Parts: sequence; structure tokens; C-alpha cells
Amino acid sequence: MQFATKLLIEPNKRPFTIMAAVVIVLALMDQGEGYFFSLGTVFSVMQLFATFGLVALGLGLSMLVREFDLSVAGIVGLAGCIAVITGASSPWLGVLFGVGAGVVSGVIQGLIMTRLHLSSVGVTLGGLLTLQGLTYVLTENKTIGYPNIAVALGLNAPIGGLVSVRSVAALAVFVIAALAMTYTHIGRDIIATGSDRRASRVAGLKTDRVIIGVFAASGASAALAGVLLSYSLGAASPVALADVLPTAAAASIVGGVSVVGGRGSPLGIAAGVLTLCILRSGLSAIGVEPHVHDLVTGAILLAIAVLDAPELLQRVTAWRLDRAERKA
Amino acid sequence: MSEVLLRARFRLRGARARHLVLAVRVVAGGTIAAFALSTPGFMSSLSINALLNAISLIGCVAIGMTFITLTGNIMSLCLGATVSASALIFLASLSFGVFAAFLIALLFGVAITAVQGFLVGSIRANPILVSIAGLSLLIGGAALITGGQRIYPSGEGLQMFKGRAAGVPVEALYFFATVVIGQIILSYTRIGREMTMVGSNLRAATAAGIGTTSAITYAYVIAGACSAVSGVLLAARYGSGDMELGAGYDYIAIAAVLVGGTSIQGGSGSVLRTLVGVTVIAIIEVVLLLRGFSQQLQYLITGIIVLLVIMLHTIGERR
Repeated sequence: MQFATKLLIEPNKRPFTIMAAVVIVLALMDQGEGYFFSLGTVFSVMQLFATFGLVALGLGLSMLVREFDLSVAGIVGLAGCIAVITGASSPWLGVLFGVGAGVVSGVIQGLIMTRLHLSSVGVTLGGLLTLQGLTYVLTENKTIGYPNIAVALGLNAPIGGLVSVRSVAALAVFVIAALAMTYTHIGRDIIATGSDRRASRVAGLKTDRVIIGVFAASGASAALAGVLLSYSLGAASPVALADVLPTAAAASIVGGVSVVGGRGSPLGIAAGVLTLCILRSGLSAIGVEPHVHDLVTGAILLAIAVLDAPELLQRVTAWRLDRAERKA
Repeated sequence: MSEVLLRARFRLRGARARHLVLAVRVVAGGTIAAFALSTPGFMSSLSINALLNAISLIGCVAIGMTFITLTGNIMSLCLGATVSASALIFLASLSFGVFAAFLIALLFGVAITAVQGFLVGSIRANPILVSIAGLSLLIGGAALITGGQRIYPSGEGLQMFKGRAAGVPVEALYFFATVVIGQIILSYTRIGREMTMVGSNLRAATAAGIGTTSAITYAYVIAGACSAVSGVLLAARYGSGDMELGAGYDYIAIAAVLVGGTSIQGGSGSVLRTLVGVTVIAIIEVVLLLRGFSQQLQYLITGIIVLLVIMLHTIGERR
């Protein structure tokens, strides 16, 4: 019992516990019919992972330093459009410009926040609206097609039935982020900045640089997601993915990123994204109504919100004492 | 530019600072007003009506969001979905009569946000996380119940919430009523003052014996009620509804709150400021439209102005 509670409460283990639980429950619901444990399900999980994973990574990184980058939703759309416009002849050029735009937008917002000491919600909200406006201007309010169909087909072609170039690219970015966070000082700097910014600054850490770097990385990650998505759809449209931000935030939080900063890891975020993707594809694979996954996701998030609430323990203790008193 | 602003900030201390910031705001407001008034056709009844229509629906949500921001809970990502869901509830229950339907929609909106507010207030659950959970549950629940179908009115009475009375769009009247009630609650009731105190310093408010749980829960209750009003107006305007109705309202609402000058840290702000924020954004949009800017440039310019105004406010309030 104690072991189980530990798995559920310890933040480093919880994402993997939840993911395992989801897989087991879905497998039980499948009752050996083989719809859930199939190559097709794995492939569609990984395709979803490619769409939402990198956005969640970007948002999650900003949450690690106790900020909240709302602009990722805008960057996804903008980078996709830039890539489609500039990458008609050479797809790599589109990737370069798209991701470059993400970095630039992250650095600018990071500079505004650190130089003027502003909170990230306000600045990135303005950033989100501005980036969306830019996307509308660039596309002239239309959907633009991407003529290079070979790229779209190539990105989504199954490799070994499990993954595609697109999902491998997303996985690679996660691996790089995890390695950088574990084996270089970047990880320590980010966690320190998120845990206690003032103390880190006193200890000699240039926290402003860390923040700007994190927002640049967040922008780049979200931009890459947008570029890959637009290429693989063969089109870019200014009407952004409306549900991208809540999904990304949910994935980061299920992945063990603390909303008050200083806790979380790229691997955890990956597990969080995978959990949501497995829920979505797995439930539809075994033939449950498509929107049940929203309900399940909501229930999991609510449970995490309650479990992580700082004053839960006090309330429960107070309530128990109260009841004991009444009995006596 | 940041250098200049930085130096300006260092020089600004105390009362002088507040005067200067106020002056900057007056100048900025004056510029917008001058631009608006010098735009041909801005004072025509057609464009005024367009303005009123634009601010009414989003305005109600923004008023609700003000209470959440004011109590120090940043924002809710669930209000847009609450708008849509209460619109559906309203349309579905019109067969009980229009007053009953309005009441049911209101109660529904309040119930959705009250639960969230209670979790945030009593055990300090993270407000953004709770709101995303609420969003998922609402979207999933609605899709399960409606099967993804559009909902059409089940009875008569929609006219009450659309059209015009005495030459003014009815939506605007409901909106202004919401503003007045909201501001009265905030400044003249005990719970309203407690909300501001809770937002400015939670620990101090707890130490002073304020019921922080009830203050935060009531803030969310008001947010739910305001969203439901917006949902009812939307349902009446379009005559049918689905969960897309209020999608994206959360972001415009929080933008209006911040443009109005309510602090994102909580503890400072008012309903009237949000009224100003909504109006400023709407005026910019109408002026750009009248001056012949394309739709896409309107989005871009509005976005940049929102960003600039938010920066201006936050520089002013920094200690």
C-alpha cells in the first residue's frame, strides 16, 4: 500500500505510474481482442505525440522556470505558415526559417520580461495575439497549400509500422532535451531558477539569461512542431489549433511538471504527452465514444490538482480532528 | 526602447511616479480617442451599434474573468467552454419558458465554476490546472450528451435577448447591467472587499480572519454567472449552438482584463477598468475597420497594441 502511494505521490515516478495504469486499464477493456495492442494504435499514438509533444515540451520548459508561455499556441501556427511559404523549393530552408522565427519570438519576449521585470502571462498573451496577427497577415487570411507533396508523404510514411519521420524527429528533440538537462549545467540552472530565482541570482547564476534561453528553446520547440505539422498536412492556415494550449499544459502537468516551478523533466513531459495520446488513440481503437477521452483526461487532471494542492493535508487533518471531536 | 523605459522606471518613485504613469495613460487614451473621433463615420449610429455589439458578449466574460484575476488566480481557461455549455443548456431548456431557461443556464454556469472555485479556495489547488480539468470535463460531457449535434431552441422567447430596445441593442443593456452589478458587489459588499484583500495578500487576509475559501469561491461563482449571461446572449443571437460558440473567449477576455489595468498578480483592479479594456480593444477594431485596414492587419495591430498596453500597465504598477 505504502509502495503504491509512493508511486502515485512521488513526482518523479508519478507520470510513469499514470501511464502504466492507463495502458493496463485499456488492455483490460480490450479483453484480448487485439485492437489496443496493435501496430496501428502505436503508430497513431506516435503521430499524436509528434503533434502535441513538442508544444508540451516548450510550455513545460517555461513552467520549469516558473513562467507560463502562452505564446506557444501562436508560434505553432506562425512557424507552420512561414515554413510553407519559404520552404516550397527546399524544405530545410522552411524548417530553418520556421524554427528561427520561434527562437526570435522567444528571445524578444524573454528580453521584455527580464529587462522590464514583467510577468510572463501578460507578455506572452500579447505575444500570442501578435503572433496570430502576423500569421493572418502572412497568409492573407487564407489557407496556403504546400506544393511539395513528396515531403508530406515522406514525413508521415510508417517506418517499421511503428513510427514516422515526424514522430522520430519529435522523439529526437526529447532525447536531446533530456540529455542536455541531465548531463550539462543547463538542467541545474533551469531547476535552480525555477525553485528560487532570488537565491539563484545571489548564488551567482545569471537567471535572466536562463529565462531568455528557456523562452528561446520553448519557441524553437513549438515552432518545430508547427513546421512538421504544416508540412505533413501539406497546408498552413491562420486558424490555429484551438485546443493546443490546454492539451500541452495538461500533458506537462500529467508529466510531473510543477506549476510553481522547479520540478519536472523532459522524460516526464514525454510520459505525460504519451499518456494523453494513448488515452485518445487507445479509447478510439477499442471503440469507446470519441469524447470519453476528454472526460478521462479531465478526471485525471482534477485528481492531480487535488493531490498536489498545498493545503490538502491541512484540510484533511482538520476535518478528521473535527470529526473525532464530535464523536467524543 | 527598453533602456529608456528602464531609466524612466528608476526615476519614477512614489507619488510622482504615479502621476507620470497616469499622464502616460491619459495621453495614450487621448490618442486612441482622437484617432477614433477623427475617423469618418465613427460617430455614426451604425458603428456605435457595431461597437456595442462587439463589447457586449465578450464583455460579460471579461467581467467574470476580472474576479478570478483580482483574487490572485491569474485566469481560467474554462470560461469559454462555460459560455458554450450554458448556451446549450439555455436552448435545451427553453421549453420550460424563457425565464426558467435563463435561470437554469445561470445556475449551471455557477455550478461549473463554483466547484472549481471551492477547490482553488479551500485546498489552494492550482487555478490554471483546475480550469483545464474543467474544460476537458465540459467538452467531453457536452459531446457525450449532445452526440456532437447542434442544439436548436426547444421553445419560444429568444426575442427577449436580442434586437433593440429604445434604439440600443438589448445585449448592451444586459452587459451594462452586469457591469453595474459586478462593480457594486466589488466595492460595496463585504465579500467584494474581501476578494480584493485575498488577491493582494492571501496570508495577510487569512491572518486577518477573512474566509478566504468563501471569497475565492464567490469570485468563481460570479465568473460563472457572467459567462452564463454571455452564453444566453450568444444563443439568442445565433439561434442555435454548439461547443464552438465561446471557444477562444478566454484569451480575449483576459486580454481585456489586462488592457483595462487589473493586475495579473491580483489585489488591484475593478470591473470598470475591464469595461475600459473591452471598450478600448473594440474601438481599435472598429477604427481599423473604418479606415479600411484588411482583416489580417486588424488582428496584427490589435495584438501589438494589446502587448504595448499590458507592458505600460505593468511598468506602472511595479514597485
